[in-house]
Amino acid sequence: MRLAVLIIGLMLSLMLTLMSSGMDSSVKRGDAYTVSMQDSTQTAQADSKQLLIGNKSPWLRNITYNGHSITLVNALIIVILSCFTTMVILLIAILLNRRRLERETRLTEFLMEKYQGLIVDYLFGNTQPEDFKAIASDDFRRQILINQMIDVSVNLKGDTEKKLVTLYKHLNLDRDSMKRAHSKKWHKKIKGFRELAFMNIRSANKEMYKVLNSSNEILRMEAQIALVRLSEENHFDFLSHLKRPFSLWEQITLHELMIQHEIKPPEFKKWLTSANDTVAMFALRMIREFRQMDAEPDIVNTLSHPSVRVRLLAVQVAGDLRMKSTLGTLKHMYKTQDYLTCLEIIRSIGKMPDLSMMGFLQLVLDKEDDVQLQIEATKAIENMGEEGVKSLVKLMKSEYKNYNIIIRHVLDRRIY
Amino acid sequence: MIDVFANIVFFLTITIFSSYLLLGVFSAMALRKYLRKNSYINYNSLVLSPLSPKISIIAPAYNESRTIIDNVRTLLSLYYNNFEVILVNDGSKDDTFQKVAESYELEKVNYFFDYRIPCERIKGVYKSKNPSFNRLTVIDKNNGGKADSLNAGINIARSSLIVSIDADSIIEPDSILKLVKPFLEEKEQKVIGTGGVIRIVNSCDIEKGHIREIHLPERILPRLQVLEYTRAFLLGRMAWSQLDGLMLISGAMGMFDRETVISAGGYSIKTVGEDMELVLRMRRHMAEQNQKYEVTYIPDPLCWTEVPSDLHSMSKQRTRWTRGLIESLWTHRKLLLNSKYKRLGMLGYPYWLFFEWLSPLIAFTGIVYTIYLAIIGSLNLPFFLLLFLFVYSFAVTLSIWAVLFEEITFHKYRKKRDVFKLVATALFEPFFYPVHTYFAVRGNIDVMRGKKSWGKAERSGFQADQPNGKKKKTSRSVSVRQLIKSGIKDKPVSTT
Repeated sequence: MRLAVLIIGLMLSLMLTLMSSGMDSSVKRGDAYTVSMQDSTQTAQADSKQLLIGNKSPWLRNITYNGHSITLVNALIIVILSCFTTMVILLIAILLNRRRLERETRLTEFLMEKYQGLIVDYLFGNTQPEDFKAIASDDFRRQILINQMIDVSVNLKGDTEKKLVTLYKHLNLDRDSMKRAHSKKWHKKIKGFRELAFMNIRSANKEMYKVLNSSNEILRMEAQIALVRLSEENHFDFLSHLKRPFSLWEQITLHELMIQHEIKPPEFKKWLTSANDTVAMFALRMIREFRQMDAEPDIVNTLSHPSVRVRLLAVQVAGDLRMKSTLGTLKHMYKTQDYLTCLEIIRSIGKMPDLSMMGFLQLVLDKEDDVQLQIEATKAIENMGEEGVKSLVKLMKSEYKNYNIIIRHVLDRRIY
Repeated sequence: MIDVFANIVFFLTITIFSSYLLLGVFSAMALRKYLRKNSYINYNSLVLSPLSPKISIIAPAYNESRTIIDNVRTLLSLYYNNFEVILVNDGSKDDTFQKVAESYELEKVNYFFDYRIPCERIKGVYKSKNPSFNRLTVIDKNNGGKADSLNAGINIARSSLIVSIDADSIIEPDSILKLVKPFLEEKEQKVIGTGGVIRIVNSCDIEKGHIREIHLPERILPRLQVLEYTRAFLLGRMAWSQLDGLMLISGAMGMFDRETVISAGGYSIKTVGEDMELVLRMRRHMAEQNQKYEVTYIPDPLCWTEVPSDLHSMSKQRTRWTRGLIESLWTHRKLLLNSKYKRLGMLGYPYWLFFEWLSPLIAFTGIVYTIYLAIIGSLNLPFFLLLFLFVYSFAVTLSIWAVLFEEITFHKYRKKRDVFKLVATALFEPFFYPVHTYFAVRGNIDVMRGKKSWGKAERSGFQADQPNGKKKKTSRSVSVRQLIKSGIKDKPVSTT
């Protein structure tokens, strides 16, 4: 890739040369070039005149090209030669890259298989740490060894895991990881964080805290993941310090990490009031996933959150967790909300059947013009059970308005 | 006067070449960042997570009875946990619908269709009796074209993210995972659409709707298009996404925010370039609402599509693309150099106007002019050859550069001889440019004549382009798929 960037740079500069020489009038004015440059240009002009076009225009035999055709011709020749040279260089780069890839793939496969066997032997006590020293001699092999250790560590627990970490330290591989964690290049840093997190080494935690609010979202995410893994308690402390948006991708990754590593979930309700809306949304999602029902009063408060996105999610979570104490608030807030929140309010009311909501839902069905709202209200009424179905049957017979199509749609179980 | 014209053409060429170089630089930067970033990504967490958003995949189908069963099967087996497939039968004249109905045990449901975006009359909505296919919904509607079918699908979609695809493209199993990621990474700016790389399937081995082995097309026309697509997708679009000037997400596959699509009015049925027009309208809508947004692009291969392998079909496809481009540019002419639309108005739109629409016309005039000079004996042959060599060498360098990008990024063509074949194609390609120019001129003439139809393209089928010209029998092997709406194919951004 570096080679490509270099080539691009070279081509760019050539292009600029061409453009400046095409428009160049400095030779005539004599205000920008030195005498020697003028001499050489004039010599080149004389040669090219003889070789290419005589003393005539590049475009037509009888029209001059602003008096600068020879400079243009020279520039064109330079660009053509550079392009052909670049073509050859690019082709060589392609072939070399291909060869390198093939060789690396073959070697990596071979080494990974070999190292895996050695690691397993070591864990069963058949190999000594010293046996690894010879193979962990160069950077490439050390990196493969680290990767292999990480792969193996995923399935290890307890003493075996500790034994692997001991080997990792004994071979000074932790120094490699630390060096990477402190690197200025973000992609190396990430690699270092990952390796340290897998090997449970806390020496770089400070560095991780430092990049927690980095503008580089990948670096930020890897730091979060590493900190969650490396913290002994208060795994999610970093949420209180997070100023940047906490994307859904980061949330999904962390949630998966919690499940995979059986990390005990904290009481997420304490982040519902976070100044960072995305943190509050993460808290809401986690309350739902871990069914933290004691957060019900806090959810009621979150229903009046200033952010529409947080409010919408709070409505959804209230419905998913059947938090009936939110019903009154949901009903009251309906009139003041935007379309999507209104839709979610009706859905949530439908998820926690309560006959006291029947009148409200019938009103929505009757007064709202939007088909989606009508469908959701009908669904919610149907969810009320026997009473709801009775009410729908009555509505189907109504002469005041034809609800039949909507009700038939809602009652068709095949649709949902 | 002649000199002025020559100067204009020359400096336009220099500007175009410079812009390609700059796009190449931006693309290299974007690709490097993307590859580094994604080397750490574990997409599996997205498959397992209950927090993953639901996706609606909308596949319009018209007269595709030969391949529809496999295509639906491929869609239903995509690697993602939370999605629905909406197949829209756009009034097919063959037995496309009957085949799907039979194979997937469909029955009509009492669907109350909400026409949020206007579309042709819906004859019925169908679900499968078999719970294994409960992800599938089929809409049977009157014929209205691809855009109309997509609008019907958007109306029925139940998730906030929609994916529009061509039912006859071969989708990569993990394409949804990759497309959805930019939406999940959304920060201050709302992500309204994401597109990715479309690759050419001609000559590849296909089995039951999946690619078994990748080959470089044997025929010259598809191979030329491989080069063109590689250049356009890996150099052009990648760079435009970095510059926030992306104006086109492939009709073959793209993911959109459903509410933004609906607010913008859905796909336009008045243009043959509905994919580009939609992106322009969505961007315009967001800018006019003063909402922060972005259109993202990923360099991962998402789907494989068949390209025309004869000049006749190619001519129809290219003239239609030109018409689509002109129609979209004309509809959104307000964007031109309008600072309200930021980079889209100040950079993206002028680029497309001057370099994608006007430059083939100027090139065509240049070719005619050169022929005229040659006839009257006024052509300065040595200088003409020099200029030709200049354009030729630059064009070939750019193409080989794109091949290098392909090699560094996804390395899909594994055989060493494929590299040499691609390089040989790059050496030949500039001689084909006048043909492209001719197609573009014909497209312009069609617009002036007020042509509106899509045109019909004969396609040789996924297996017709096999090595040695022999057709391989696979479940997806078809001889000639006539009457396929060729507009469902994707268009690359730029050519040299």
